[in-house]
Amino acid sequence: MADDQTVATAAGASNTGKSRLTFADVEVGATTAKAGKRAGNPYLPQIATVVDIIQETPNIKSLRVRFDDPGVQAGLSFEPGQVGQLGIFGVGESTFAINSSTSQASDHLQFSVMKAGEVTSALHELHIGDKVGVRAPMGCGFPVDAWKGKSILYIMGGIGSAALRATINYTLEHRSDYDNISILYGARTPLDLTYKYNIVEWEARDDIDAVITVDREFPGWDGRVGFVPAVLEEMNPNPANTIAITCGPPIMIKFVLQSLQKLQFGDDQIYTTLEKRMKCGIGICGRCNIGPRYVCVDGPVFSMAELRELPDEL
Amino acid sequence: MKFLTTDQLDAFLGYVAGQARVVAPVKDDKGVVLFRPWAPGMPVELDVLLSKQSAKEYVFRQSETYLKFGYTMEGLAAAQTESPEVAHAAATEAEVAAVDVAKAQDARVKAFETVVVDPVNEAPAQVIFGLRPCDVRGFVQMDNVFSGYGGFYFDPYYNAKREATTLVAVTCRDPRSTCFCTSVGGGPAGTEGADALLTQVEGGLTFETFTPKGEALGAFPGFAEVSQAQSLYAETVKETAASRVAPAFDLEGVRDQLRENIEHGDWHDLAMRCISCGTCTYVCPNCYCFNITDEIVETRGERMRTWDNCFNPMYTLETSGHNPRDIKSNRFRNRFSHKFWYYPDKYDSLLCSGCGRCVANCPTRIDIREVVRTMGSPRPVTVTGEEA
Ligand SMILES: Cc1cc2nc3c(=O)[nH]c(=O)nc-3n(C[C@H](O)[C@H](O)[C@H](O)COP(=O)(O)OP(=O)(O)OC[C@H]3O[C@@H](n4cnc5c(N)ncnc54)[C@H](O)[C@@H]3O)c2cc1C
Ligand code: SF4
Ligand code: SF4
Ligand code: FES
Repeated sequence: MADDQTVATAAGASNTGKSRLTFADVEVGATTAKAGKRAGNPYLPQIATVVDIIQETPNIKSLRVRFDDPGVQAGLSFEPGQVGQLGIFGVGESTFAINSSTSQASDHLQFSVMKAGEVTSALHELHIGDKVGVRAPMGCGFPVDAWKGKSILYIMGGIGSAALRATINYTLEHRSDYDNISILYGARTPLDLTYKYNIVEWEARDDIDAVITVDREFPGWDGRVGFVPAVLEEMNPNPANTIAITCGPPIMIKFVLQSLQKLQFGDDQIYTTLEKRMKCGIGICGRCNIGPRYVCVDGPVFSMAELRELPDEL
Repeated sequence: MKFLTTDQLDAFLGYVAGQARVVAPVKDDKGVVLFRPWAPGMPVELDVLLSKQSAKEYVFRQSETYLKFGYTMEGLAAAQTESPEVAHAAATEAEVAAVDVAKAQDARVKAFETVVVDPVNEAPAQVIFGLRPCDVRGFVQMDNVFSGYGGFYFDPYYNAKREATTLVAVTCRDPRSTCFCTSVGGGPAGTEGADALLTQVEGGLTFETFTPKGEALGAFPGFAEVSQAQSLYAETVKETAASRVAPAFDLEGVRDQLRENIEHGDWHDLAMRCISCGTCTYVCPNCYCFNITDEIVETRGERMRTWDNCFNPMYTLETSGHNPRDIKSNRFRNRFSHKFWYYPDKYDSLLCSGCGRCVANCPTRIDIREVVRTMGSPRPVTVTGEEA
């Protein structure tokens, strides 16, 4: 014990009162869907059935899943921005943003999957009625409560919409808690726009400002044309009392961050949600770190101010 | 404190083996010392200081199946023949909701049975005998990670084995030139995490216990009372050993300097020789990263985890081809910064117990002490080098 303290003080740590868990502290055998952080087996997926599949774009499908154990589904809740691991037994698991509304948590969870590699391709082969294993919810969501009274600006590209949809829905369902809400969404072509059924609604509402853009002219598209960062600068949003949240391909995020700085947004007004290769999803296996922070448990949501503290390993 | 005469050692191990599996350092026919399940008659190697590999394998398995699953043959056949509509487009949110429930009644629900078994956390009682104090601390350092220290998740597979394990340490009489336990808060007779500690003295071993698990071993009837001379002898052995471990660096300020030097070009120079083989991670008593993979043959499959290593570029490679640690010096930096900065931030201690295995076994003689001395102290400003 004396040794431990020597090391602790020498390394600069203070006495924190943190402790380790034992079997007595957890619900033995329970999944994260059932017991959250008190899961006795956070590796164990909760079995769910695919209840609907929506072809969002040529390479993105939304899978809506419901836990087979009705008690677990009924008792589920999550924060907007949290993620889940969706897996097929025999293929593997991958991380996806939960993009259904938090208000529907007791009915189903929805994930949008872009076909990329092994697991995502297998997920694209699923049929309604197939079984999947789900470990959710995981990670930390957006601080939507702290944002009450502020204006919210969503800036998203491509599949990045999946990571923000639950948060958009949350702020729309609690519309009066927020000042202006704006959504800037861009995709390569009109065919690559996800959630077209939501876009219709956003555009129809007069209490939100939705700007949809595609990278270049496309037959039949009479909407806006231009890259997201450029359109953002044209929109010229007022940074006063505004939170900007961005998610999309790394290259888009990079330029959006530059544009936001040009527009005088401060580091604590900018949030993003990150991707890293993940396995365990519970802060143990080690691979998803950016310096001392683990995307799976400390993220995936980070403010720009937090990211500035970290090594350049995005 | 008790005393065990040398000729009683086998009887003691036999006694312990009557209650639990005994794992002990054993020399194989090539002269390599490794921790192996012990059986009566096997000579235990207590004179070679360090086993080639640590004993972490007995709690954190090199490869471990943690889920088993199966599909029914009929289910697979049905799924292959029937092909109901896979997906539909939706123009409105109402349309999404409308198709929802009815579709789920598909025949596939019954045909495609998934069986998931959570294998019982098989963890028979075991006593790991003859550990060096640094290896015992390796377990303590891994405990934080696997036991959700600081509000994280609990790992049942590790903890089932860990709780069933008794750790019996032995004082290092003859530290090697690669040992630096005293620089990281330990010592050749360190007791952090140990249930019991043996010290070799004239004619036998002194035996001290620190926990109920250790005391249980003290019930062996062959122990003698320790004489004052023997206990004095043991103290001398401990002190002499401690004095022979050369100080490697001063921990004070190391974490702050690592933070300060994160983008420093010297990382590149230090990493130059490293061939990313990962040996250092596999021999280390506290490196704990793992990979997860699925295997399936016909209808039966397993999900397992296997030791991984952060020097492998695949470790962080994403599907898009993007790799956040694509250059070697970034991966190299990760291992050392993890041990002396990232882990301390999260778990309030260090992820290195100074065993020196990574120093002794690295094919290119990378020395963690040199890395800590260099990057853990103020650096002159340099221009970051380009990696070849
Ligand atoms: C927090 C977070 C949220 C995400 N949300 C979504 C989403 O809503 N929709 C979506 O389509 N994709 C999302 N992704 C990316 C998605 O997880 C990867 O595309 C997916 O893991 C690729 O797996 P694969 O088996 O198809 O590819 P393979 O290349 O065959 O995968 C090998 C393994 O690498 C890992 N891996 C590879 N690339 C990534 C990556 N970029 N991120 C994480 N793990 C990776 C996985 O463990 C995977 O099993 C998210 C990733 C993270 C980390
Ligand atoms: S053992 Fe040496 S060469 Fe191999 S990965 Fe470790 S530091 Fe690099
Ligand atoms: S980092 Fe090296 S010296 Fe430290 S505990 Fe691991 S193997 Fe031993
Ligand atoms: S995914 Fe395992 S630590 Fe983050």
